[in-house]
Amino acid sequence: MSTREWVPVEQRWFGLDRRTFKAGFSALAIALLLIYGWQGLNAAIPWHNEIRAGQVLDLGNGATAVPPVGWQLEQGTLVGGAGASATSLEVLLAQGGATIELIGTTFDGSAAAFLDQVHRSQGSPPGVTAARGTLTTDSGLVGVVESGSGPSGDGVDVAFKMGTGDAADSAPALLVRVRTASGQFEHYEDQVGAMLRSITPGAAR
Amino acid sequence: MTAVPQEKAAQLDAIEESGWGQPYRFLQPHNVAFWVYVLGVGAGAITMLRVFGPGAQFYTPALAGGVVLFGLYLVPWLLLLRHHNRFTAQPAGLLATGFVWGGVAATFWIALPANAALLAIWAKIGGTSFAQAWGAGLTAPINEEFAKAIGLILLIGLAPRLVRSAYDGFIIGAFIGLGFQVFEDILYVYNGATQQYGVDQLGSSLRVFIVRGAAGIVSHALFSAIFCAGLMWVLGRTRGERNVVRGVLTMLMAMFFHFAWDDMGVVSNGGVWAGILPFLIAAVELTALFSVLRHAAQHERTWIRELLTPELATGAVDPPLLDAVSGLHKDRKKYRKHLHSRRKANHRLEAASDLAQEIARANGAESPGVVHTRAELLRLHNKR
Repeated sequence: MSTREWVPVEQRWFGLDRRTFKAGFSALAIALLLIYGWQGLNAAIPWHNEIRAGQVLDLGNGATAVPPVGWQLEQGTLVGGAGASATSLEVLLAQGGATIELIGTTFDGSAAAFLDQVHRSQGSPPGVTAARGTLTTDSGLVGVVESGSGPSGDGVDVAFKMGTGDAADSAPALLVRVRTASGQFEHYEDQVGAMLRSITPGAAR
Repeated sequence: MTAVPQEKAAQLDAIEESGWGQPYRFLQPHNVAFWVYVLGVGAGAITMLRVFGPGAQFYTPALAGGVVLFGLYLVPWLLLLRHHNRFTAQPAGLLATGFVWGGVAATFWIALPANAALLAIWAKIGGTSFAQAWGAGLTAPINEEFAKAIGLILLIGLAPRLVRSAYDGFIIGAFIGLGFQVFEDILYVYNGATQQYGVDQLGSSLRVFIVRGAAGIVSHALFSAIFCAGLMWVLGRTRGERNVVRGVLTMLMAMFFHFAWDDMGVVSNGGVWAGILPFLIAAVELTALFSVLRHAAQHERTWIRELLTPELATGAVDPPLLDAVSGLHKDRKKYRKHLHSRRKANHRLEAASDLAQEIARANGAESPGVVHTRAELLRLHNKR
C-alpha cells in the first residue's frame, strides 16, 4: 500500500476511512431516496381513478370495451383520452385484489394460435386448467377462453383477433387476462363476462 | 537550456491539481464508496437476473440478438469516447467502473423500481391519460439522471484525486450514460420480444436495435455527459472551477433534453412536427453538448499547457505543437495545416500526449518513461 492510500489512525472507524463517508453515504442516501422514497410515496397515495357508468376503454384503432363500474383504472386510457395503440396496448383494471389486464399486440394467425403462443411463452392460467371454450362478443368477435384454478389463485385468459372474416388473421391480437385470489373468480364473473362481451373491434374490422 | 523555475513550479501544480498520473485502484475495502458501489451493482445484478431469468430460455434468440447487436453498437461509441478522453485522460479501469455502474446499478437497482413508482404516482395524481402522455418525460429525467450521477459521486469517493474537473465529469458521465443506454436497450429488446410473446424474436430485436440505436446518438451518453459536467461545476473540485449557477443550469438543461426526447410525441402533437422535431432536438442537443465540452475543457487545457511548457526548453515541444495539444479542434486543425500533413500532425500530437502522461506519472521528475517519450517526440520532429 502506498503512503497516499494509508489511512491515518484518527481517520479510521471500524476499518473504514472517515474521509470516504461524505461521497459514499451521500451516494447511498440519494439512491435509497430514489428507490424507496418514490415507492413509499406511491404506497401512501390511493387510487382515485374509479370507472364510472358510461365510460369506455380505448383499445386502439377504434376498438373499445366497457369496463366494470367501480374498478380502478391503473393503466390505459378511456375513449377521448391520450389515445391507445392496438398493437402495444396495456390496460390494467384492479378491484379488491382482482385484476383485469388487456394486452394488445401483433400476431398473424387465429385467436386459438395466439393463445397457444401466449401460453408457450408465459405459461397457462394458474392451477388446473379447464378445457378451452369460445366466447362471442355482442359485436360478433369470437374469443378463445382458457381458465384455471388452484391454491395460488384463479385465472382466465381470453384471446381475440380484433377483426372478423378474412381480416381476422392479420388483425391485431388482444389478450384479456383476469387474475383473482383462489376461489374468488365467481365474485367477479358477471362483471368480467359483461366486459368481455362489450369488446368491439374498430377500424380493422 | 533548462526550464525556468516558475514554469517547473506551474508544471508541478498542474500535476498535483489534475491528479493525472495517479493510479486507479478499484478494490478499496476501507472506502465506503467501494461498498456502496458493490451494493448497487450487486443488487442491480440480482434484479437483472430476476427480470431476464424466468424467460431467458424462451427468449434466447431475442436476448442473444440484442446482446450481439448492442455489443457491436458499443464499438464506435468507445472509439468516439476514447478520442474525447484527451488532455488529462482518465484510466480505462475508472471508466469501466463508471460504465458498469450505469449499466447494472443505475438501470436495474435504481431506475427500474423508481420509474415504476413515479409513473404510478403520475397516474394517481393526473390520471392514466396524463401519465401515458407525459409520464415518461416527467419520470426518467429525474430518476435516471440522478441514478447515473450517483456513479460519478462514487467515483469521486474511489478516486478523489483523479476526478477533479468538469471535463472529468463530462467523460465519466458519458461512459456511465453509455452503460445505462446499452443495458436499457437490451431490456427494451427483451420487453419487445415478450410483448409479442416470442414471435419473430430476431426481427423484433433488429427493429428495436434500429430505432434505439438511431435515437441513442443523442440519448443517455449525451444527457449524462452534460449532467455530470454540471454536477462537477456545482461541486467545484478544482481551484476556481466552482460555478453553482452554471452547474445547476447545465444539469437542468440535461434533464430538459431528456424530457423533450422522451415526450417528443406529445410535444410535437403529431403532424409535420413529429417528423421535424427529432432532428431539431438532436441539433440543439449536439450544439449544447459541444458548448459544454468547450467550457468543461478549459481547466484541462490549462493543465496540459502548464505540464508541457517546460518541454519548450528541451525542444521536444514547440509553440505550435503546445497550442495544438492543449487546444480545441480548431487549434489541432490549424496545426495540421501548419505541418501540411495530417499524419505528421497526428503523430506529434499523440507523442506529445504520451510525453505529458509520462511527466505526470513521474510527478515532474526525469524518469525512463519521460526520457523515452521525449526522445520519440524529438525523433518525430527530426523525421522528414
